[in-house]
Amino acid sequence: MRIDHTHRKWFIVSLVILAVAVIAYIPYRQWYPQGVGGGTAMGLIYGSVGFAFMIFAGLLGARKKVPIWRVGRAQTWMRGHIWLGLLSFPLILLHGGFKFGFGLTHWLMWIFLLVFISGIFGAVLQHYMPKTIKERIPMETIYEQIGRVRGQLVDEANNLVEQACATLTGNLSDASVEQRAAAAGAGTMGGITVATGLQIDEDSCGEMRGFFQNKLKPFLEGYGARRQPIANRDTAKSMFDQLRLLLPSNLHPTVEDLESICEEKRELDQQTLYHRILHGWLLVHIPLSYAVLVLGAIHAIKALAY
Amino acid sequence: MTRRVRTTKALAKRMDLQYFTQPHPLRKWRMWLSIAVPVVAVVWFFSARATGQKVYSSGPVSAHHAFFGKKCELCHVTQGFFHKEVKDTACLSCHDAPAHHPTEVRADYKQPNCGTCHVEHTSSPQLAKTPDAGCTECHSDVTRAVNSSAAAKLTSTPEGFDDVHVAGFDRHHPNFDAFRTGDPGTVKLNHWAHLHAMIAGPNGENDKVKMTCTDCHRPASDKSAWPYAREVQTCPSSSSAPAAEVKTVAANMEDNPRQVSSRAYMEPIKFATQCAACHMRDLQFDKRFNESVPHCQTDVVQKFLREKYTQYLAAHPNALSEPLNVNRVVLSSLVQLPPAPKTREEWINWQVANADQLLLNHERGCGLCHQMNKVEGGIPVAAKSAIPVRWMEHADFDHDAHRMIECQSCHAQAENSRKTSDVLLPGVASCRGCHQQGGAMHDAADGRCSECHQYHDWQKEQRLPKKDFTIPQLRSSAAGME
Repeated sequence: MRIDHTHRKWFIVSLVILAVAVIAYIPYRQWYPQGVGGGTAMGLIYGSVGFAFMIFAGLLGARKKVPIWRVGRAQTWMRGHIWLGLLSFPLILLHGGFKFGFGLTHWLMWIFLLVFISGIFGAVLQHYMPKTIKERIPMETIYEQIGRVRGQLVDEANNLVEQACATLTGNLSDASVEQRAAAAGAGTMGGITVATGLQIDEDSCGEMRGFFQNKLKPFLEGYGARRQPIANRDTAKSMFDQLRLLLPSNLHPTVEDLESICEEKRELDQQTLYHRILHGWLLVHIPLSYAVLVLGAIHAIKALAY
Repeated sequence: MTRRVRTTKALAKRMDLQYFTQPHPLRKWRMWLSIAVPVVAVVWFFSARATGQKVYSSGPVSAHHAFFGKKCELCHVTQGFFHKEVKDTACLSCHDAPAHHPTEVRADYKQPNCGTCHVEHTSSPQLAKTPDAGCTECHSDVTRAVNSSAAAKLTSTPEGFDDVHVAGFDRHHPNFDAFRTGDPGTVKLNHWAHLHAMIAGPNGENDKVKMTCTDCHRPASDKSAWPYAREVQTCPSSSSAPAAEVKTVAANMEDNPRQVSSRAYMEPIKFATQCAACHMRDLQFDKRFNESVPHCQTDVVQKFLREKYTQYLAAHPNALSEPLNVNRVVLSSLVQLPPAPKTREEWINWQVANADQLLLNHERGCGLCHQMNKVEGGIPVAAKSAIPVRWMEHADFDHDAHRMIECQSCHAQAENSRKTSDVLLPGVASCRGCHQQGGAMHDAADGRCSECHQYHDWQKEQRLPKKDFTIPQLRSSAAGME
């Protein structure tokens, strides 16, 4: 979600809450000369509010699971998740008097810190990455379909190569005995016989097929395939230029199409990478968030007992 | 040959319209991790509890409580079903911590709980080291934090405490009381002369000695011989000898039972141990007697002299006709020499008065060190020495803790002090050279209030009854506690 002017109200309200909490902390800190902690009245207030914000932020997952719930728009929930979740960390710091504690509390704070940092990282990514993807990957597709599209690109490239071979003017191996004899007796034209023309076409076809099988196909079939020389845009350009030199000019459009397929595959790889970055942080953020909620509940119960 | 064309329709045809029904690896991982991580966290918590690890403790207990650290229930008493708070009774069952000094407690003062100042589970090795704010909450304004008579005493001094708001030792702590009240001692002592080879030693004028600090100032635990000690006649108990008021360190410690170090305070100055080797000479009264008068109050000295001259006259009947030997000293206004004696009684009186001339003047004898007060129609008496054993009544000081520092480093003015009235106590600025707020955090000695001041009135400490714990009981952990 982009953090734009629609977040202004949430931002202001969060800032006010934070300011009130910090201002209240100053006399509170003076009042408890032995050091503030979660067990004091103010400490409990900070802790309760902070934990309530954490629970609200955690409920976003439930809201997404049941999109038809009539409990506010998903965007509103997301804004609340971002801002109240962000606010919960300083409130918990104030709750603990800026100390990470010991035992369970210690671990809880470190996990919460990871959740907080990963959340900020995710929010920044969600703000900038979509625009970057849009700009850099014009041939973007549905992420889950990338594997399927990759297979289609292989088929498309294979068809292009075969079509090109079929359109060549002759094929020496397919020529009949009479054709070969006629071609042999047809004389020369500029030093090139019909026979040598047929041989050149056959060699071109072989070159193209070899290029597809050995260089293009392995790249198109696998994600990334970074070890393939063709994965690199500059290297690929050189390779395609070299292929053009080996092929008659009527096959150059086919080479351009293959180049286009190669570029699309490269963009799909790029999209895969961006997608993993854009959503990979959730593998840290969400599981640890649930762990914080569970351990936080245990902490709250035990703390009230002692 | 047809060229490759990317139309929307062609692209749409690529898609499998049921793709969202198939779980994607990233989503699958997210789901499984979302289940696994909290489960692992809960399993860790309960397994750690089961194995006796203190997963829930808010911090290690202080060093003095660590030996029964596994026995949480000794302090955390279960109340009802849920609560396991620590009440003062838990602390008081082992510690007899008397209340705050009652004479210094304001009427509106409410005794705080033990845990208010002594916060456990904070990794603090010593619970006694409490933060300053607990003290300055009341004592910041010194004049308000004490009872009315003490406040009157404070505000009646020229400097006053009106503008003093103590925030810590290095923040507005006033200088020590002695600098305002002065030295109460009456014994005349020239430190400069004693420390610069200006005085005659035990062997007389030809034996000038240069004394050092430790010749006179030593803690009680130092059992080495005093270099200037001599055996002297003890004064009768009824006598109010000048030194009789000086208490020993041990006696003084009774006022402050928490001050346990026998090296904390210097032994009080006593004539027999620190002065007698040289100053017994000043108590010689007559060349005919090879002895000195006892270092006692003048009534005892008078009695001693009278006995001596009576004995002398009995032993020397012709003494009455011998020429009188008037002591050539600056005549003191304190004693009048009677006319020439004619009878035995008059002779004894004259000799005693003549000896008094020697002993009670301002250059030798008692007057050399003691302030002699006139008595109407009688012999002057020496003023009480009133040498303080403790200069700071409301604070503790431990010389032993400062033994690595040379004496002059703190008592710098002692070397050049020529007057008794000089207060040779180091000022608060000297202490601040080492003791600072934050202590070890700033590579300095601790500057907390509790370093010098006691909150509890330990004079009221009572010995608690014996406990019946065994070592295994204290060392074992109770099930269900963490």
